[in-house]
Amino acid sequence: MLKKVARWIDNRLGTSAFTQDALNKVFPDHWSFMVGEIALYAFVVLIVTGIFLSFFFDASTSQSVYDGSYAPLVGVEVSDAYKSTLEISLDVRAGLVMRQTHHWAALVFVAAIVVHLCRIFFTGAFRSPRELNWIIGITLLILAIFNGFTGYSLPDDLLSGTGLRIAYSIALSVPLLGTWMGFLIFGGEFPADQIISRLLVTHIMIVPALIIGLLTAHLALLWRQKHTQFPEPGRTEHNVVGSKLWPTYAAKSLGLFFGVFAILVLMGGLFQINPIWLYGPFEPQQVSSPAQPDWYLGWVDGALRLFPAVELRAFGFEIPNPFYPGVLLPGVTFLALYAWPFLEQAFTHDREPHNLLDRPRDRPMRTALGATTLAFYTVMFIASSSDLIAKWFTVSVLDLVRVFQVLVILIPPAVGWATYRLMKALAGSGAPRLTEMPLSALTHPNGRGNGAFPHQERGRDAHAGGATAGDDGDGRSAARTGGDGALPAQRIDDRE
Amino acid sequence: MSHPSHPGRGPERREGPGIAVAFGVSALASLGLTVLYGFGGQPQIEGILLFIALGGLGAGLILWGKQLMPNAPFVEERKLNLGRPEARAEVVASLEEAGPDAGRRSFLAKMLGGALGALGVAALFPIRSLGTAPGRALFRTPWAGGGRVVTIDGEPVAAGDFEVGQVLTIVPEGNLEAGDSQVILIRLEPGEYEPPPGREDWSPEGFVAFSKVCTHAGCPVGLYQAGSQELFCPCHQSVFAVLQAAAPTAGPATRPLPQLPLRIDEDGFVAAQGDFVEPVGPGFWNRPSA
Amino acid sequence: MTFTRRDRDRRLTVRLLVVATGLVLAGCSYRGTSTELYQPSPTLAVADDRGETIYRRDCAWCHGSEGGGTARGPSVIEGLNGPASIDFYVSTGRMPLNDPSEPAEPSGPSYTPSEIRDIVRYTTTLGAAGPEIPEVHPEEGAIGLGAELYQENCAACHSTTAVGGVLAAESDALARSRIAPGLQEVGSRQITEAMLIGPGTMPVFGAESFDEEDYNSIVAYVEYLQDPDDNGGAPLGHTGPVTEGAVGWIVGLGATLFLIRWIGTRVGEE
Repeated sequence: MLKKVARWIDNRLGTSAFTQDALNKVFPDHWSFMVGEIALYAFVVLIVTGIFLSFFFDASTSQSVYDGSYAPLVGVEVSDAYKSTLEISLDVRAGLVMRQTHHWAALVFVAAIVVHLCRIFFTGAFRSPRELNWIIGITLLILAIFNGFTGYSLPDDLLSGTGLRIAYSIALSVPLLGTWMGFLIFGGEFPADQIISRLLVTHIMIVPALIIGLLTAHLALLWRQKHTQFPEPGRTEHNVVGSKLWPTYAAKSLGLFFGVFAILVLMGGLFQINPIWLYGPFEPQQVSSPAQPDWYLGWVDGALRLFPAVELRAFGFEIPNPFYPGVLLPGVTFLALYAWPFLEQAFTHDREPHNLLDRPRDRPMRTALGATTLAFYTVMFIASSSDLIAKWFTVSVLDLVRVFQVLVILIPPAVGWATYRLMKALAGSGAPRLTEMPLSALTHPNGRGNGAFPHQERGRDAHAGGATAGDDGDGRSAARTGGDGALPAQRIDDRE
Repeated sequence: MSHPSHPGRGPERREGPGIAVAFGVSALASLGLTVLYGFGGQPQIEGILLFIALGGLGAGLILWGKQLMPNAPFVEERKLNLGRPEARAEVVASLEEAGPDAGRRSFLAKMLGGALGALGVAALFPIRSLGTAPGRALFRTPWAGGGRVVTIDGEPVAAGDFEVGQVLTIVPEGNLEAGDSQVILIRLEPGEYEPPPGREDWSPEGFVAFSKVCTHAGCPVGLYQAGSQELFCPCHQSVFAVLQAAAPTAGPATRPLPQLPLRIDEDGFVAAQGDFVEPVGPGFWNRPSA
Repeated sequence: MTFTRRDRDRRLTVRLLVVATGLVLAGCSYRGTSTELYQPSPTLAVADDRGETIYRRDCAWCHGSEGGGTARGPSVIEGLNGPASIDFYVSTGRMPLNDPSEPAEPSGPSYTPSEIRDIVRYTTTLGAAGPEIPEVHPEEGAIGLGAELYQENCAACHSTTAVGGVLAAESDALARSRIAPGLQEVGSRQITEAMLIGPGTMPVFGAESFDEEDYNSIVAYVEYLQDPDDNGGAPLGHTGPVTEGAVGWIVGLGATLFLIRWIGTRVGEE
């Protein structure tokens, strides 16, 4: 049977040679290389559940009196968008599990992208020749966040309406273009009727199409350039050591897909998310409390809360307060992310192609900078829960905001400094893992403990692009990789 | 390309049964789902059964991959075909084969660019159709006509029935769409409120009214704290002091909530004198300075 | 009669938690301790009337023996004070306070229902003339109307799901950490009393705002929110995206990371 199908296809497409190559393609086995796959499979879950939801959702803001099965809202005037979301949640069989799985998948999707981004950053995987894929990846992060927000806004409930209201105000705050942007996006002055149907088209067509296209390019570049790997005995700049795509990697990866799907449906069944029937329909004069966006926009919301009451005027025109935390900060954030590979090249003058990864300790400065940046956004993210923290710990929310305004400046450099010291100590101690590093290494970053873990040196050898000899210092032999891991060094010349 | 050991496939391997059990449990859970669906479904059980069905598949495949498939490291060489100058030169040469004469080609290329640019500009116009022009919309509200204030249900507000300390969200009569016209009406002790210059006759009988749209990011500032007469915005925690003409005293808001001039009409109902004297809500670039 | 110190203890625990979680916030919540704690008079005037006895023993020290208030506490007979307000404060455990400088926060009532009736009856003899204790019949209310009125008037402070929310007054140093309490534990009578009298910082939603059906409907909806339809599973505290985000990261991403850790290897292991 398999033979017949193979013959039929090969006679028409002549793809046997390519397929054979593909099946034999080797992928490194390190667990952290699968974080991106989590994001990929969460996206597949989003599409599967999203298609189901799209059959029932009605993106209209026309109002009617609710008379469905949810008794507490009978007699209340609601929009069709809200009503159809209620029906999906409470009347359509399996609708609630689908909706909740979709929402949880969105949260995990963006979270996995962020962790994937961190993995790429801290191991230097963005370096030449992979700058293009870094840029595509950052674009995917932006699109994922944007599509998350458009989805969050669709049900036309009170919470999402409050979010849209803030988004409109942020659009208005852009100098010169703001008023037009706000009016064109929303169709007029807030709350305009068209916004929900526009959000739907954006959410289920435009952005997903862009994500699918860029994701394909992301994977094609990965395929073409082959995956990076950690420096290890037998692993060089010129080879890839791991499992073949077929059958082992395919089985594990398909297993991961089902595993991710399983975790997300379990969350969709057991943890209630966005119970819009309790939030009620959007009314412009009402406000939901507490009012937070989904986590991936928490840092913007936190920045809006922490930014001091400053509003500048220039040339007789106003630059409103939300512009700085709501437009400028995200703009600078993503520009800096896009530019990072090139900034680092400018500082290190290292434009060589790299297929072997750094361990974070090998680049203490980059690691410290990354930790500083993460700390900055984490403090803002936590600050977006200021009202809830104030309630839970019975402290004043106003004082809390002031504390956060100080912390957002103090904590990042402190974290950066501590990370730098830690990475230096870790590299000096030669411990294979952070948990195995002796505490004394912290006080003597370049002294004692050096040499206690001799195989630490091999990473440096491999990193330098040199061939690794058979003796890797801990008794294992490179022969287990078949003995052909050590290739003669070949010069990679990317310059003319 | 080699690996040192072949994994066994015989029944002597004890990992095999686990995989079969995983697939079997998955199939049973799927069967259970069908039955459950037939009985009308239940979200939590659906989630658990779907978890078992999908998780069984995943666990079985992963175990299969880990235990029964070739797992020894394979080595593949990277083919260092990145950046080959000769091939690149050929490509550049081919791309430049678009015409014989460099000068003429550059002229035509410019014309092509111009035409595409013009088309691009023309294509911008449909974007204009997406919404109404901002015009003066942000500078005025439906309060412009004056008239009675009403509740969100359209009920007028009799001054005599409104207690000191009471608050109410109001909109202009005949326009219940509360987008930019929502106002919070508060009755203070007579004399408690000292109006700023020029607003002396805006607060008859202790009635004061302020736009409910936060001047920071537009959330409805609906949280009134009697006693200290402060309004609180739940979105970004701005505080507005009603007795100081709703000036912001904490949080990111920079401007007071605009005050709506009130009057009591001849029938004793609360009414507006006219529109706000400044734009309501969040800032925008051409908002005049206060 | 015991005076519960639960509130104070709870706040202490909370402060320890704050330190433990590294939020460095303890300083903000510190209000300073009052030296003036309630001490029952050794020469208690024992009256025949049980309400009067309790009032003199537990209330008069701050509110005055005639109810007109002292430097330590406000009048209980002026303004909207009366049966509804006294019943509200005492039956929700906001009163009596050990320490008059502490905020009146809800806890378990210190008296039996019949003792509370006696206190209320005694204070009316002092001249308290505010609203009567209301008769509430949530079963006669329309829950849909209640939902609309709740969202319009109550949700902004007490939260959309009635779990309570935070408020803030810049002007009042003592009130900087105000909260609008959650309504999960509140009885129907107390909900209505609160609307009638506007306790603390809450505005009054008196007879001019609502009629009897409105009150019944609001109470019906609040009672629904006390045990709502959580069809989706664990309600996660009904606090929306914050707890959802935490669960998404810890449970969702955490579980998937465990999964790939199981599938994959680490540096140095095969």
